[in-house]
Amino acid sequence: MTEKRELIRNGKRANGREDDELRPIKITVGVLDKAQGSCLLEWGKNMVLAGVYGPREVFPKRDVDARKAILVARYVMAPFSGVEGHGRAGPNRRSREISKVAGHVFENVVLTEKFPKTMIEVQMEVLQSDGGTRIAAITAGVLALADAGIPMKDLPCGSGVGTIDEDNKRMVLDLDKYEDNLGKSDIPTILSPRTGEILLYQMDGYLTKEQLLEGLDKVQSKAVPRLREEMARALKEKYGGMAENGGVEQ
Amino acid sequence: MILDEVKEKFIKGVMREGKRTDGRAFDEYRKISVDTEAFPNAEGGAWVKIGDTQVAAGIKIDLSTPFPDQPDEGMLSVNAEFSPLAHPDFYPGPPKPESIELARVVDRGIRSAESIDLKKLFVKENKVLGVFIDLYVLNHSGNLIDAAALAAMAALNKARLPKIEDDKIVYGEYTGQLPIARSVVTTTFEKIEGQIILDANDHEEVASEARFTLGTGDGDKFASAQKSGNGGFTRGEFEYLLDTALEKGRELRKLV
Amino acid sequence: MRRIVLPGEKVFDSPREVESCVKDANGTYATEVSVFYDDKVVPLKGVYVPHQGEGIIGIVSNLNFSGYVVDLNSPYPGRLSDQETMEDLQLGDVISVKVQVVTEVNECALIEPQRLSGGDILEVPAVKVPRIIGRNGSMLNTIKEFTGTDVLVGKNGRVYLRNGNVGLAAEAIMKICRESHTSGLTERVTAFLTQNR
Repeated sequence: MTEKRELIRNGKRANGREDDELRPIKITVGVLDKAQGSCLLEWGKNMVLAGVYGPREVFPKRDVDARKAILVARYVMAPFSGVEGHGRAGPNRRSREISKVAGHVFENVVLTEKFPKTMIEVQMEVLQSDGGTRIAAITAGVLALADAGIPMKDLPCGSGVGTIDEDNKRMVLDLDKYEDNLGKSDIPTILSPRTGEILLYQMDGYLTKEQLLEGLDKVQSKAVPRLREEMARALKEKYGGMAENGGVEQ
Repeated sequence: MILDEVKEKFIKGVMREGKRTDGRAFDEYRKISVDTEAFPNAEGGAWVKIGDTQVAAGIKIDLSTPFPDQPDEGMLSVNAEFSPLAHPDFYPGPPKPESIELARVVDRGIRSAESIDLKKLFVKENKVLGVFIDLYVLNHSGNLIDAAALAAMAALNKARLPKIEDDKIVYGEYTGQLPIARSVVTTTFEKIEGQIILDANDHEEVASEARFTLGTGDGDKFASAQKSGNGGFTRGEFEYLLDTALEKGRELRKLV
Repeated sequence: MRRIVLPGEKVFDSPREVESCVKDANGTYATEVSVFYDDKVVPLKGVYVPHQGEGIIGIVSNLNFSGYVVDLNSPYPGRLSDQETMEDLQLGDVISVKVQVVTEVNECALIEPQRLSGGDILEVPAVKVPRIIGRNGSMLNTIKEFTGTDVLVGKNGRVYLRNGNVGLAAEAIMKICRESHTSGLTERVTAFLTQNR
């Protein structure tokens, strides 16, 4: 029987991170040949591969919308993605719910009215999971959409935030799997950086209003800037950063 | 998006001149890379690229009850997912015949060659270890079978046995490698207007009238065979396939 | 000064009507990964949406009672009435064609079809077409001159190449696509063509 892991050791997070510190993030876009846009995102031990097809003809035809593109988001976890036993292949209730809320994030920013009667699909495959997978997956989806050249009014991003101490008071950013499973609360949060609007918000836990606002401020001031930097770097990378003087690698 | 008819005409035209569109020889594989460090949460894993084709394999080992007619043997299960990421024609839903065929062909190779000694997976009465191999097609640019078989075998060769305590698996702790007796790989051929090529890309597959996959293992023996598609193969062609599969199989097995 | 801008990135401090941008009370923002220069925002990727009057290259993808459905390398198909063609077209035929009219939902009617045969097709992102053609057609003329190839560039990103050094012409066009976001491109392409002539 595994012993219960401690989340706080000598006053610090057991995984060595500061309270407001995110895990290391590594992003590459354009990794798949067939998808219009794609992104491989590693966030701590999470690994997500996202791909975008579209705008293209709607399938099945009966779902077509004459006013705008329909956006289909799919979040799926590979059976070998977790440390625990063999998962089921394909979506389950949890992944269906995540697909829905992920879709709401994309629908908010994608200019779907520019492409009536078409379909845009965002497929997010979680290949390795370690807590905060839905945030990682949606971030990868946003980048895959940008890589595909699909017009968006912003690049949403965010992170999880939650309490990990027994007193349910100490708020930290970006909970990993142990902190999520053994901690007191977890609030995955995604914002539209340009407007500050909340596009994704879910919670597990029992917290006061002040705590919720504290968490939101942490995500806005600490997580969003860090994510924006990483996302910008990944998208500009293939164009050599600056476009002057033909500075291009073959 | 160029229509299949246009692709097919183009490929056949180039092949009639004895060439392939990417300049390869008829029996030449594209660049192959095998990464066995990609999926640390799994008991074993591999991410294989053949040209632009990308297939991942993940292995999970779980406790299972054995089949009633093989009570002292462990279990092997191979499943394939054709992710919608991989190709504009892939949609979520029940597995297509191609994905079932792929999983079963890879399974048969490993099983017939007895790569895994299933008897070594016996734990105690009514409890055995099950080896679950999940093949994930991530990008389809042709020859999914060879990429999948390579990924499965590379993952198996690096797979670790999880620790068992009090009749339960202790996830994250391991007691050594999964014992593998021999390696198996596949070599897939496509026939286009009487000419045979190896490692077809997805455009060449559109032009193909028949396919033959041969699995080969250590000791120059055949572990699996699958002919697919409506066209036929002559005996002479078949002998060429057997010889080429043995030769290429030896090279491919070095990569796992 | 060129710079790469991203979706949601501010390009002007006040709201303006700019192509490939959105605006709010605080400014104007890019909507795609684009190059920003000369007060213009030019996307680096994206699908083709047909517009009236454009000359494009289609592939016949279906036949119906009144004529043909034509694939335009776009999420939107084009329809060609059989009143418009003198000869019967087959599935897979490549045609140069003009967009007569586009509906509110981006579907279009095509006219003036001409069958193209004996050549090769290259598909490039439609957003790169202006760079391939160049100012007053200068880039395209340079390619034609150095390779002796007949090059027809459709606004939808399909390029038809025939005669001359088709391979070199195609390479030059793909180079333009890869480096479309840079300056000094015309000189580099000319140098490339000269070297490999």
